[in-house]
Amino acid sequence: MIEFAEVSKRYPNGQEALRNVTFQLADGEMAFLTGHSGAGKSTLLKLICLMERATAGQVIINGKNLNRTSRRKIPAVRRDIGMIFQDHRLLFDRSVFDNVALPLMIAGYPHREIGRRVRAALDKVGLLSKEKHSPIMLSGGEQQRVGIARAVVNKPPLLLADEPTGNLDPELSAEIMRLFEQFNQVGVSLMIASHDLSLIAQMHYRTLVMKGGRLVGDQNEPGEEQQEADHES
Amino acid sequence: MNPDNVTGASLSRGASVTDRLKMLARLHKIEARRGLFEILSNPLSNIMTVLVIAIALALPAGLQIMLKNAQSLSQGWDGASRISLYLKTDLPEKRINQLAEEIKQQDGVASVEVITQQQALDDFIDGSGFADAISQLDSNPLPPVLVIQPAASHATPQASELMLAHFEKIKEVDVAQLDLDWVRKLYALLQLAEKAASALALALALAVLLIVGNTIRLSVQNRRDEIEVVKLVGATDAFIRRPFLYTGFWYGFLAGVVCWLLLNASLLWLREPVANLAGLYQSEFQLSGLDWQQSLQLIALSCALGLLGSWLSVGRHIRQIEPR
Repeated sequence: MIEFAEVSKRYPNGQEALRNVTFQLADGEMAFLTGHSGAGKSTLLKLICLMERATAGQVIINGKNLNRTSRRKIPAVRRDIGMIFQDHRLLFDRSVFDNVALPLMIAGYPHREIGRRVRAALDKVGLLSKEKHSPIMLSGGEQQRVGIARAVVNKPPLLLADEPTGNLDPELSAEIMRLFEQFNQVGVSLMIASHDLSLIAQMHYRTLVMKGGRLVGDQNEPGEEQQEADHES
Repeated sequence: MNPDNVTGASLSRGASVTDRLKMLARLHKIEARRGLFEILSNPLSNIMTVLVIAIALALPAGLQIMLKNAQSLSQGWDGASRISLYLKTDLPEKRINQLAEEIKQQDGVASVEVITQQQALDDFIDGSGFADAISQLDSNPLPPVLVIQPAASHATPQASELMLAHFEKIKEVDVAQLDLDWVRKLYALLQLAEKAASALALALALAVLLIVGNTIRLSVQNRRDEIEVVKLVGATDAFIRRPFLYTGFWYGFLAGVVCWLLLNASLLWLREPVANLAGLYQSEFQLSGLDWQQSLQLIALSCALGLLGSWLSVGRHIRQIEPR
């Protein structure tokens, strides 16, 4: 699903955010990405969704080599990736329903299909009753769940989450993580960047540790259903 | 396997072409409505923009209307390009009438009026008040005259002059005269005004493009966060561009309608004084405004300018916005 081969990223200001990073994430695998802030977690995720380009090495997502993806092809790559952000990135001038429907509208789904899928996604995150609300009326945890519904609504094979629980209390964080596990159980690959080490420790999944732009640890702590997938990687 | 469980359904695979077209039409409807609401939801500043565009359009359009009226007015004065043929004084009346008939048959002649020597003298006595002086003369000094009215197709200065040259060659004609000078001046003036109006229209059309472009640029910047988000969830540039194009289109449309109202209001305001003035000159002249076809053209042009202005602006500016 994700393949990094000796990837480096140097920003125009000379900062080396990633140095020689190599790893693979198998189809249907779930992994955490951890490290101090500034260790390169966000840069790594940005390379996957083409918000940044690698200065060296290969990034291959879902069989597509991103080095060779033209600007015009970027939307197609992003439609296969669900992204979840710490600050949710919701549109506050639209209802919860319209926020979640956005990826489907963009991809040109038929109207009836959109209604069905959006409600299924909202039901999944337990917010079906709030579809007509404005996101601004929701709590932080609920907003994050709207963001998750939006990320999964078009059933992408890969989910990326950047500090999804950064602003949430432990109980809500655990709830979000349980949602991620459920998606993983139906075959979605997940990569979750987080510095919440205690939460990661509870979860028993593969953990990639970054430090100063390098991948310094790759601990396999697979959960029961993950053993097979990890075996491949 | 239930198709819904297949991951990687990034596009609505399986949706038929008609479904996709329906969805596209629906999207357009939504975006068109949103674009209009966006303008209406911030009335004050947007009304200013619409008014500025409307005035910029109304100036050249009003000038065009004035020119059109001036032209129709000058066409009413085609009589001015009449040709007078002063014949030799010793011609018999029969020959004069015969000549009039011949000329009437020629191309480009609408009518020929015969003024005999006696009629000319009578007119002169009536009009000048020199009756006593004239009666002292033993013979009539005035020549018979043929007054030729060129057909509308030959009423331009050039055509009239050609005709004049032709009539001058008739041997019975003593002097041929065409009172043309001021008609020529009027035509030249109108031509100049037309050129000036076109230049003004071009300059103001450019101004409209810039106004719309700048408004859309600000609108793009205001919606920077939104653009970043939709780019992140896989929106193409075309998708992001669409609402801004609609906004530009609506600016053009509203400005076109306001411009039309402005023009008609000013015409209404001018109608009375113009009719008064025309009345003083014993003229039936009336100001003519825009017929429905020209009204539609005006609004269509305005819409096109709005659309083009936003098109030129939006492509460049959304390209600069990349999610961070």
